[in-house]
This record gives sequence, structure tokens and C-alpha cells, in this order.
Amino acid sequence: MPHENDIILSFQDLDIRFTLRGQVLKAIRGVSLDVYRGESLAIVGESGSGKSVFTKSAMGLLDANGTIAGGHIWYEGKDLAAFTTEKEWLTIRGKEIAMVMQDPMTSLNPLKTVGDQIEEAVVLHQGLRGEAAKQAALEALAAVGIDDVERRYKQYPHEFSGGMRQRVVIAIAVACRPKVLICDEPTTALDVTIQAQILDLIKQLQRKLELTTIYITHDLGVVANVADRIAVMYAGDIIEVGKCEEVFYDPKHPYTWALLSSLPQLGVKGQELYSIKGTPPNLFYEVHGDAFAPRNPQALNIDFVERPPFFDVSPTHKARTWLLDPRAPKVEPPEHIRHLREQGGKSYA
Amino acid sequence: MAKYIGKRLLRSLLTLLIIITIVFSLLRLMPIEGYFQNYEKMTTTQIQVGLQQLGLKDPLPVQMLHFWQGVARGNWGESHKYRVGVDVMTIIAGKMPLSLALGMAALGIALLLGLPLGILMARSASSKWKILDRFGTVFVVIIQAIPSAIYHLLIQFYGSQLPGFEMFFSAGKPITWLLPIFSLSLGNIAYYAMWLRRYMVDESNKDYVKLARAKGVPSAQISRRHVFRNAFVPLAQFIPTSVILTLMGSLYVESLYSIPGMGGLLVQAIQLQDNTLVQALVLIYAAISILGLLVGDILMALLDPRITLGKKEGGR
Amino acid sequence: MAVFRLKDSKTQKLADSLESQVRREFTEEELFQFAPYDPDAGERGGYSGYSYWRSTLRAFRKNKVSMFFLWVIVIMLLFTFVEPLLPYDKEPNTIYHSEQVVLDLFTRQPKVDAEGNVVVKTDLAKDIKPCKEFWFGTNVIGQDLWSQIWQGTRNSLFIGFAVACVDALLGILVGVLWGYVRKLDFFFTELYNVFDNVPQTLVAIIISYILRPGISTMIFAMCLTSWLSTARFVRNQVVIIRDRDYNLASRCLGTSTWRIIRKNLLPYLVSIITMRMALAIPAAINNEVFLTYISLGVPLETPTLGTLVEAGRKVMSEAALRYQLFIPVIILATITISFYIIGNSFADAADPKNHVN
Repeated sequence: MPHENDIILSFQDLDIRFTLRGQVLKAIRGVSLDVYRGESLAIVGESGSGKSVFTKSAMGLLDANGTIAGGHIWYEGKDLAAFTTEKEWLTIRGKEIAMVMQDPMTSLNPLKTVGDQIEEAVVLHQGLRGEAAKQAALEALAAVGIDDVERRYKQYPHEFSGGMRQRVVIAIAVACRPKVLICDEPTTALDVTIQAQILDLIKQLQRKLELTTIYITHDLGVVANVADRIAVMYAGDIIEVGKCEEVFYDPKHPYTWALLSSLPQLGVKGQELYSIKGTPPNLFYEVHGDAFAPRNPQALNIDFVERPPFFDVSPTHKARTWLLDPRAPKVEPPEHIRHLREQGGKSYA
Repeated sequence: MAKYIGKRLLRSLLTLLIIITIVFSLLRLMPIEGYFQNYEKMTTTQIQVGLQQLGLKDPLPVQMLHFWQGVARGNWGESHKYRVGVDVMTIIAGKMPLSLALGMAALGIALLLGLPLGILMARSASSKWKILDRFGTVFVVIIQAIPSAIYHLLIQFYGSQLPGFEMFFSAGKPITWLLPIFSLSLGNIAYYAMWLRRYMVDESNKDYVKLARAKGVPSAQISRRHVFRNAFVPLAQFIPTSVILTLMGSLYVESLYSIPGMGGLLVQAIQLQDNTLVQALVLIYAAISILGLLVGDILMALLDPRITLGKKEGGR
Repeated sequence: MAVFRLKDSKTQKLADSLESQVRREFTEEELFQFAPYDPDAGERGGYSGYSYWRSTLRAFRKNKVSMFFLWVIVIMLLFTFVEPLLPYDKEPNTIYHSEQVVLDLFTRQPKVDAEGNVVVKTDLAKDIKPCKEFWFGTNVIGQDLWSQIWQGTRNSLFIGFAVACVDALLGILVGVLWGYVRKLDFFFTELYNVFDNVPQTLVAIIISYILRPGISTMIFAMCLTSWLSTARFVRNQVVIIRDRDYNLASRCLGTSTWRIIRKNLLPYLVSIITMRMALAIPAAINNEVFLTYISLGVPLETPTLGTLVEAGRKVMSEAALRYQLFIPVIILATITISFYIIGNSFADAADPKNHVN
């Protein structure tokens, strides 16, 4: 069990709003989450659940119409949520927290050589100039597994394949020498065969550089591969968080059940694959109670009235669902989820 | 790269040949008055004999051949009205340097004023202080929407009332250069400002700018090193258009200010119906336009490493 | 990234009904009982009832400036047709005369002839400033400017519309052929590559020079090559329809070609064609003014804005006569600015990216 002072990044009651032509969209609704030093945390959720916005807020990279409306983001004793000027953010971006973005095809400047773009980070964060900066950039390229670095250094992004470009993006992030690395769907845009290589690379760099990594993904396969802990996000709120095994084998929130049930691997041959009915709520409207309730066939009345608090399942595992309240009727998870627990539970308990 | 440029050059030459052929054939339909100095007083027979002498009774291919033979020897024909009997190339050669100087100055000023205006507008568009962008947009709209013939006229009219300025051009007085150059560059200023602004706004929403922000590059550096540089590249493809804009503008501006240049000359030649002069000038203008396009394409290829096969990125 | 959904009446209703459900009072025991499951509730906010044309119109109407200019153009257009029917009976081409009492040179009294009548001299009613009789004044030869200007506006707008229509019709026709018939692709592409190099104005100059001046010559001269770029544009769209992945996918799902054309090609095409037409009109008027200036315009007996501006330009140096320049310039600028703004804001409104909300 990690100690309090092992927390590197802490979100507290974070509220993020977007203004869109006069309408207010509550993208993140009072979320609290601690990130421990050196761990690998995965934030899972479907598109639009706010996972990307959530992590971007820690780097001051919200779009211009988005603001932190409340709460705190503690990092090394500083409240990032109170930052207003670019000067303040420049002490964090890259230097402390770096990011790998989703689409390597578009996240590199097409008109600058790969070397230039890595060197830009080296110059900014390692304080090197000239030949020394170039050497550092070459090292960064080599560190992400690119051969023939001298030649590659001078090439433009369009001369690289997708997987290679993602390596370059990672090299840029690592060249900043950050403490926290946010990987925003780092493999979504890549071929399946490349995905594993990229994930391995990140894992390896994490160990070598003692990074804390936060993965944002909707791919539970990625999560199982890399994460120590999982946070499940739905409609701008974290509804369940726990160790990887806990969330996979003993999920408590109906949404987590539904999410796991959608794994094609759990499908039975000949039967239709499970899919969650309905769509996530429209965040332009106030969400009452449990946001998942309207899509949950077994929702309780209270789910429509009051937002559930976090109930502790174990010291490391908690979930926001009224089902964990002692007054609630006993609801069993779907059969295949129980099956999963029986299988995995053996090795884990 | 050399291969691309070579190919492109060859292509331009071919285009030029085709265009000259077409224009030449079309111009055979020119009013025949334009070949004679005193058409009204001539009898029908005299006219027929005259046409015969000029070779205008020959079949078109023969005329074409003669024309090319003449061009090869540097002989583009003689003026019939403007300065009777003088070789048109001699006339044009005397006028070209001035037009070139004016056109280049106008293009230079357009870049000098248009690009900063575009940058300012783009900066202002993405900041809270949008007033500059609004003003810039109004300026662009006015310049683009009002026929250039009108604002050239108004600039001459009101500009010449300013102390020191004059209504007409005289090469020896530098101040008289200002109004026509400014007038000529206005269209391009608006044009460059509008497109640079749009490209910069487009670029600044791209993923690589987000990544640059994420790696901690200060925003001033982002807009200088990334956004501006990338937005500048597609502007290269507007060079041909701005050359054409300047060329066509010069027709009007030169004759308004009585500038003894090529543009004014074409207008005069048309008014006098001097066929050979019109023909030579039209062909030169077409050639300059093709040259502009060529320069734009080559510049684009030099600036953008992605272009190797001559594919144009995006549309104009 | 959050997905922004359109707010529409249906989702609003659902939200309201949910609101009322929430306000109901529950006892604690009831709170922990299962709620009735409404499968539709899970869908609220999911569908938007999005309609391309409705959103385009709405986005356009929201733009106050362009709505203003749209009204200006509509009213002006109507007026050019109504004007000849108004009781103000002046012919644009009639030369008016005025009668003046001749004064005796020495006595400064009206001259009287032998029979005792006041001597009256008939003169051209030229250069009369706007007054009750001639609302916009008269020109240098005594024609009524008010009727000339509206006749000229009518003619100029006719040229503009004609050019825009030919441009669109020929452009679409050739563009579709160019895109669909692969054998034609080479020919038209080369044709385009050649003619794209020649400035439109230059073509117009050549054509106007070799043909007899007139409105039809002018329209022909301006249309001769301008349709090529429209055709090129249509061709690209057709090729996209043919080859783009999303259309391929759509076809694999059994979508009919007609539906793809209607849903994917037409909206885009119509909006762009409309914009091009709106911009072609000021361009045509601009060319017209220019051609008139280099004496390749329409003959004087058909007034256009171009001929009027040119006539005004000639008397510009005399301060008293400048109304002859400024009145047509103001009308002309109003027309071109209106069309330009309408065209551009329509293009913005037609872009689905601007349909958020």
C-alpha cells in the first residue's frame, strides 16, 4: 500500500467546463484521483467520457473554451489548477509532465526534420546547445529503438512509418526528461502488430527512467498489458478505481460490468456480442445521481436522485455505486463476469 | 528535385507553345482596320493588296510558320498605328523595364505589408483582443469586393490631393511613384493577409502544434517556428495569382497615371487598334503568367519536403 | 475529447421528463428499490435530428451582417425591375433639353424679340445636378442619370448572372463527364492545365478585341474559360464520390448511388456552386468596368455600370460634376460588396464544421 507522500499527482474535486456558444458543458464533474510515484495507471472509458480532457488539465492544454471551474490539481506542492499564465505552465509542460499523443501521423510537424523536433525539446529542457544538443537528440532516437540515427535525424516525418513516427513522438517526450508521462491512446492509430512494440517500449522506458505513466485508452487489452491500476471513467466522472486485478476480476460498478462484458474475448461462439444499450448522457444537461442509471436495467431509484459516494471495497479498490450501500438489494454481476472472477480469482487470491 | 524542375519547365514551355498558337489563331480574326495607318481613305483593292503584302491572305498554318520564323529572328512585326513602321519589340523593350520595376516594387510592398497584417490578424483571432482581426477583415473584404478599377480611380483622385502628390507619373520625381505602386499592391496586400491569416489559424489547430505545446515550447516560439513557417509554405502557390493580379492591375494603373509602361501600352494599342502590337503584348503577358505559375510551383517544391512528384497539396 | 451534441427539442423534452421524475419524493425504502427501466431514456441526447440544409440556413440567418446585405440585394434587384414602371417617366437614352431665357448682354434684362415675346433658347440639359426634375441629375449630353443608372444596374446584373449561370451549368456538365468518363480525364486535365495559366482578364480582352462589342460579346468573353475551374472542382468531387473510403463503405452497405449523390455530393456541390456564383457576379462587374475603360466595353447606347463609371471618370476633375462618378460608384460598390459578403458567409454556413450547436 503506497504512502501519502508517494503521491506525485493528485486531482481533487476537479470540475472542468466548456463553453460552447453560450451553453455550458460539464466535461469533468468533481473528480478526485491520486497518482502514485512510479506507477502505471490506466484511465479507461468510452469516447467522450472526458478521460483525455481530464489529463490535459494537468498540463494546461485545455482548449481555449475550457476552464477549470473548481477543485485542485496538486503536483509537488503546487496547485496546477490555480495556474493562469503561460509562464507558470512552462515550468510543468514537458519538464515535469510530458505527453504522447494519439495520432503519430499528425502530431509531428511535417516541414521540420525529426532531429529538429527532438532537439527543440532537448534545448528547452536539458539546457544543451549545438553539438551537445544534437548528440542528446541522437541518443533519444536510439533510446526508442530507431536504427541508423545519423541518417534518420535528418529525415522528415513523411519518410517514417506510423510506428516509427510514434517512436519519434515518444523520443520527444522522453527527451524532455519528465517525471510523469501521459500516453493519450498511444496505440489506437497503429497496426495491431506495432501496438505491442510501442507498449513494450513505453514500459521499458518507464522502468529505465523511473517514470510515472498515465495511459488513456478505451482498449482493455492495452490496460491488461501495462497497467498497475485502473480508473474507469464515465460521463466525466471516475466511477471505479482499483488495482488491475481488482477491477478486472471483481468489478463493482454496473458500468464496469457492462464495459467488461463488451470484451469480444468474453463472447460465446454463436451468440451475439454484448453491447451496452443507449448512449452516454448529454453533458450539456445537469446529471442527477448516477450518470449510468438511465442505461442500467437494474438501476435503483436512488441512482436517479443522488450521486453515489465512493464505497471502499478494499484499501486499494473503491467504486461509486449505490449497490455497495448496505441498504441496497443484492445484485449479482452478469454470469460471464462472475466466471471471469472464478478463473482469475484463483491465481490472484 | 532537379528532375522535377526540369519536367515542370518543359511542361511550361509546351503550354506556352499551345497558348501562343491559340492566341495567334484567334488574333487572325482581329479587325482588319488595325493593320493600316489610314484605313478610311483606302479603296477596297488597296486594302486587299495590303493584306496580301502582310501575308494575311495566306492559310493559317503558313501565317503561323512565318510568325515563328519571324520570332526566331527576333522580328515580331511592325507597328501599324502606334509608331508606324517601328518594330514592336523595340517599342516594348523600351517600356518593359519601367513596368517591371513598378510591378516588382508593388509585389515587394504587398509582401512587406500583407504578411505582417496576416500575422497580426491571426494572432488577434486567437486571442481575446479580436478587434484587430475585425478591422483587418473589413479591409480585406472592401479591397476584394470593390472592383479594383474603382479603388484605383479613387486612390488617384484623393491621393493626388495630398500635399506633394501628383495626378500623373513622372519617372524623375520619386513621389509620383508612390501612388501607383501602392494602388497596385493593395489587392495583393489583402490577398496575402487573408490567406496567411487563414492558414495560420488552420495550422495552429493542428496536432503538431498541440504536441509542441505539450513539450513546453513557449507560444511565441510556436507561432514563429512552427505555425508561421508552415502557413507560409502554401502561400507560395499564390505567387502566380499575385503576379497575374499585378499584371492586370498594371494595365489600368499605368494608363490612369500615364505611366509609359507595357500595361499602358496595351491599353493604347487596343484603343488605336494596332494589331501587331496587341498581338505581341498579349503573348508576352501570357508568357509572364506562365512564368509566374512555374516560379510558384518550383518555390513550393523547394519549401515543402513532401512534394517530390509534382503533386500539389490542397487546392487553390 | 467530448462529443458535442446538438440540442434539439426531442432531447430537451426527454431531459424535462427526467427532471420531473427526479423531483418525485421517495421514502428511504423506495430509494433502494429497482427503478423502472426505460430503454429510451438511455438514448436521450444520442440522436440530434441533424439536417444539413436546416443547419446551413440557420447558420446563415444567424449572421446579421450577411442577412442585411441579402436584403439590400433583394430590394435592389426588385427595384431595378420595378423602376421603369414607376411614374417617373424618363427614358435612359433620351437627350433632354432645357429652355433658357436669353438675357440681353447690356441691360441684363430678358431679351424681347420684335413681336414682344421673350426670346427662349433651347439647349441640351447637360450636367444638371440632382434636382426635382432629374433625381440623379443629367450627364454630359443631357441624359437622365436616374434612369440610366437603373437601366445600367439591370444590364450589369444581367451580365453577372448570365456569366455565373453559364459558368455553373457548363462547369457541372463538363465536370461530371470529366469525373465519370475516364477516357475524357486526360483531355480535360490537359485542357485545364493549359488554360489555367492564362489570366481571365486577358482572355476577355482578346475576345472583346476581335468581336463586335456588346453585352453578348462581353458575356461570351468572360465565360469562355471561367467554367473550366468550376468543372475542375466538380470533377474532383465526382472522383471523391467514386473513390473515397467512406463512400465505398457506404456503397458496401448497400446505399444506392443516387442516395450517395444526394447526401454526400449534392450538399457540398450546391453550397460551393452557390458561393462561386455569388462571387462570379462581382468579378464579372469588375471585368466589365475594366473592359469599358480600355474601350472594349458595350456601346454607349446600352448603359451599364461600367459605362457610367467610365463616363463619370472623364469628368472627375470638375468638382461640380463628380456626382456623375460617385452615384454609379456607390451603387456598384454596394452590389459587389453585398454579393461578396453573401457568398462568403454562405460558404461558411454551408460548412458542416460550423453547424455545431
